[in-house]
Amino acid sequence: MIKQVVLVCLILSTACFNIFLATIIFVTTSFATTNNHPLENIVFSQDPASLQRGAMIYYDVCRICHSMKYIRYKTLQEIGLSNKQIDTLRGDKPENSTPEKTTSDHMLSTLYGQVPPDLSLMAKARKHGPQYIYTLLTSYTENEGKYENPVFPGIKMPDAMNIAVAINESSKEEIKNQAKDVTEFLLWASDPRASIRKKIGLYVIIYFSILSILLYFVMKRVWSRLDNVES
Amino acid sequence: MKHVIGWIDRRFPLTAFVKHELTEYPTPRNLSFWWNFGSLAGIVLVIQIITGIFLAMHYKPDASLAFDSVEHIMREVNYGWLIRFMHSTGASAFFAMIFIHMARTLYYGSYRAPRELMWWTGQVLLLLLMATAFMGYLLPWGQMSYWGAQVITSLFGAVPFLGDEMVIWLRGDFTVGNATLTRFFALHYLLPFIIVAAVIIHLVALHAVRSSNPSGINLKDKNNIPFHPYFTVKDLFGISVFFTVYSYFVFFNPNLLIEADNYIPANPMQTPAHIVPEWYFLPFYAILRAVPDLVGGVIAMALSVMIFAAMPYLDRSKIPGGARYRPIFRIMFYLFMLDILVLGYVGAHPPEGFLVPLGQIATFFYFAAFAFLRFFSKWEDKWLFNRGLPAEVQAMLSSEQAQKTDRRHHKKDRRETPGDNHND
Repeated sequence: MIKQVVLVCLILSTACFNIFLATIIFVTTSFATTNNHPLENIVFSQDPASLQRGAMIYYDVCRICHSMKYIRYKTLQEIGLSNKQIDTLRGDKPENSTPEKTTSDHMLSTLYGQVPPDLSLMAKARKHGPQYIYTLLTSYTENEGKYENPVFPGIKMPDAMNIAVAINESSKEEIKNQAKDVTEFLLWASDPRASIRKKIGLYVIIYFSILSILLYFVMKRVWSRLDNVES
Repeated sequence: MKHVIGWIDRRFPLTAFVKHELTEYPTPRNLSFWWNFGSLAGIVLVIQIITGIFLAMHYKPDASLAFDSVEHIMREVNYGWLIRFMHSTGASAFFAMIFIHMARTLYYGSYRAPRELMWWTGQVLLLLLMATAFMGYLLPWGQMSYWGAQVITSLFGAVPFLGDEMVIWLRGDFTVGNATLTRFFALHYLLPFIIVAAVIIHLVALHAVRSSNPSGINLKDKNNIPFHPYFTVKDLFGISVFFTVYSYFVFFNPNLLIEADNYIPANPMQTPAHIVPEWYFLPFYAILRAVPDLVGGVIAMALSVMIFAAMPYLDRSKIPGGARYRPIFRIMFYLFMLDILVLGYVGAHPPEGFLVPLGQIATFFYFAAFAFLRFFSKWEDKWLFNRGLPAEVQAMLSSEQAQKTDRRHHKKDRRETPGDNHND
């Protein structure tokens, strides 16, 4: 009996092992860019209010230069925007359409030498994507009218959040919060199915843990037929 | 029901087949959980084929559409994210299961006579799996897909005389492009079914020579039990535990083993900073880079995969039970595992500083282990016999000897199994 209890604990610990694994992966991951600039290790909550603010910042600021070709206006319902708000955002575009940049490609390549990348997948397309985006947005400094960014030396993108010219600490805090909101939104956009995935995943793991325990006892029962036979 | 089965049995050996391969198929009673990984690899193959067929319904093998179609699957196809992440995680799970399955075979010496053909069909399966995984990795058409395929196909340029022509023939173009993508897609759909056929050959060979077991000798008949129900239930239990761990990766960390660069669409004009293969190719990639010369590197890499086939020839030991009763072989086994981990680490990082000599030393030890085995296995046996074998090994050897003489006398009684008497 004790042996069986121990084994049940073992199977339960398989489930716990998954959590341990997640923790270890999280703890041992060093947050740094390829040029070894440390990234701010913030946790993203995917809170709807923050996502909605982030969507607005994207719409008003980032969209000037960056498209999001895998996001459709109607899917913004999933972060809690009302149909009316979405109608205002999309204007006369169909609800199935995707946000396009407001500056022409030709203009952008004249200004920056290349067309700025699409942002739909940005939070997954960089190592530690969300931390990278947040640190990048908040690391701009100004030096004699020229912008610099230690996270991405030689970056062409201007200081869109105006953090380099923030007049005091409180406005700097404000900008950091906005940077976090827009990063939350980009994180959601890179994988809109993440929340449902984790929700289903929890049930699936619980299901298989219980099934494993039951199958363990079935196995013991079947094998107990052999106990009378000398080995 | 009886009538139906009777009708079938007169036309097809259904009952005889089930009896011979399942309900009466004798399996050693003492198999440990390390013997579960064969069936686990089988279940992953099934997962990969099923999810793969559904992915192919929505995927578009065209250089201008491939990346978008994967995002379409991830965002707009109902549960497309689940099918896609099961498939991408399944590739890693497949290699994990196969590597453990191989490590078990090496540890317990299961490749030794009479199971050489099991080992060699397994070797063919490994090569087919590697080819399939490599071609499948191109299909998402991300940066790492593209540049990985570019690097690996260019290795065929090392073939003497025909090299350059071969690279173009493989790619269907001068660089990896649309022609490469469509042919890789076609082959990626074809090869899994060839793998299924090879698995059937692997299993036919298994049922001829039967499972090895931790003791390393052929057990007495009474210690063999029918596969069904004892091992069907044990395999089911193993599969359930496997699904628990697999689900964690599918649902909570599906991007852990996907390079960030692969979420950037393939761009032939821009090479990524570090081109790294998937984790399961890292040790072999490290061996490729350890040799300074391209031709030498390609030969070393090919040899590092193929050398396993020589194991039945290299290991000349007669001691049963593989590493269990062979202290030197056991130490070598663990050192070899460690060496593979070191090579994996070296393969994952850019070749700079101490990693270059470390990779070369690890490569040397990798091959030295095989070369050394040929000579020391005989010597270790002699040493162990002179020192006196443990009583249990002695007993096993003599019981095997006794069984051999016994079997010559009672050939007809071999099929009897003890489990049948105890159906309570």
